[in-house]
Amino acid sequence: MEVSPVLQWITFGIFAFISIAGALGMATTMSMFRSGIFLMASFIGVAGLFILLLADLLALLQIMMYIGGMLVMILFMLLFSGDPGGAMMSTHMRLRGPEWFFSLGLARSPQSKADGNKDDSSPDKGNHEEEGEKEGNHGNDDMSMFTPVKRAAALLSVGIGALLIALLLWRPHWAVVRQMPDQDSPRRIGHLLMDKYMLAFEGAGLLILLGIFGAVMLQRPGKHPDPTQREDLQAAVDAPPAPIKTDSPFETAEPDQETEK
Amino acid sequence: MIAIPLTAFLLVAAVLFAIGLYAIIAQRTAVMVLMGIELLLNATGLNLVAFWRFTAPQDYSGQIFVIIIVTIGAIEMAIGLAIMMLLYRRHQTVQVDKYKALKG
Repeated sequence: MEVSPVLQWITFGIFAFISIAGALGMATTMSMFRSGIFLMASFIGVAGLFILLLADLLALLQIMMYIGGMLVMILFMLLFSGDPGGAMMSTHMRLRGPEWFFSLGLARSPQSKADGNKDDSSPDKGNHEEEGEKEGNHGNDDMSMFTPVKRAAALLSVGIGALLIALLLWRPHWAVVRQMPDQDSPRRIGHLLMDKYMLAFEGAGLLILLGIFGAVMLQRPGKHPDPTQREDLQAAVDAPPAPIKTDSPFETAEPDQETEK
Repeated sequence: MIAIPLTAFLLVAAVLFAIGLYAIIAQRTAVMVLMGIELLLNATGLNLVAFWRFTAPQDYSGQIFVIIIVTIGAIEMAIGLAIMMLLYRRHQTVQVDKYKALKG
């Protein structure tokens, strides 16, 4: 059951790299579909860190809920609404740093090779991820999927990240307990959920139910029709019913033409 | 016994948090903003699990906290995507700065 420290560090490095590189790719790539895939990679990395922290139930929960649920929702949303950035953005904008790296292969851009040669900050180093974000692009930001304050946002996030890292490094000694958690932790969590945190559990269940109802209610069509549509609906309701033909069962004219308008 | 210090996990979580913040502020598409929020929640969960493992490994309340956070994140994602789809039907755009009607 004892894992050697070298193996632990290797595992930690791999999963930390996957999670951070995935997150950076999510934030900087030009294709939103690629963003979803990068986000999945980041979640898998965090799930690996959870397993390393002996929280295996949470790792399973992470993979099942985030990747099985939310990622499917995100990709469905992207297929529904189209990809506003994508290949066009990566051809018309000069990309630098991680944006160039994570948008590789999206389109045939002639200047990407020239950018790649003078791109000295290799964006896939696990610890120095944020320095690359300082370099904003000089393309036309108005058409892109980024807001005009992208440079300020990059500076702000780098600043906050540096502040957090500095605070963490400044206070290195936490009151760490040298104990191992129970090997049968899912059973313990289940008992806690059903015993001590029963109210929170029920509240979460109620919240999920309300969320399902809310999402379905929001998506129900025809709840608030436009005025023109309403007239059509009223006309369709007031119209006399069409006579039922018995010749062919496929040509029965039902008064549901309003759904086509 | 785990050989990696607590600070290493917290550093990863801090970097994830910063990247998520960047995604929220800099991205213009509503789906990307939601993805950034998910990243923030994920960083918080990593922090909680790391603190649970290193400071109170016999008390599983930290993991239950993470379970609740994941649940909240899933609901937020579902409702956010539903609202976004509604806005997309009305305005035919997914960019959040085009939703000026929501300003009130």
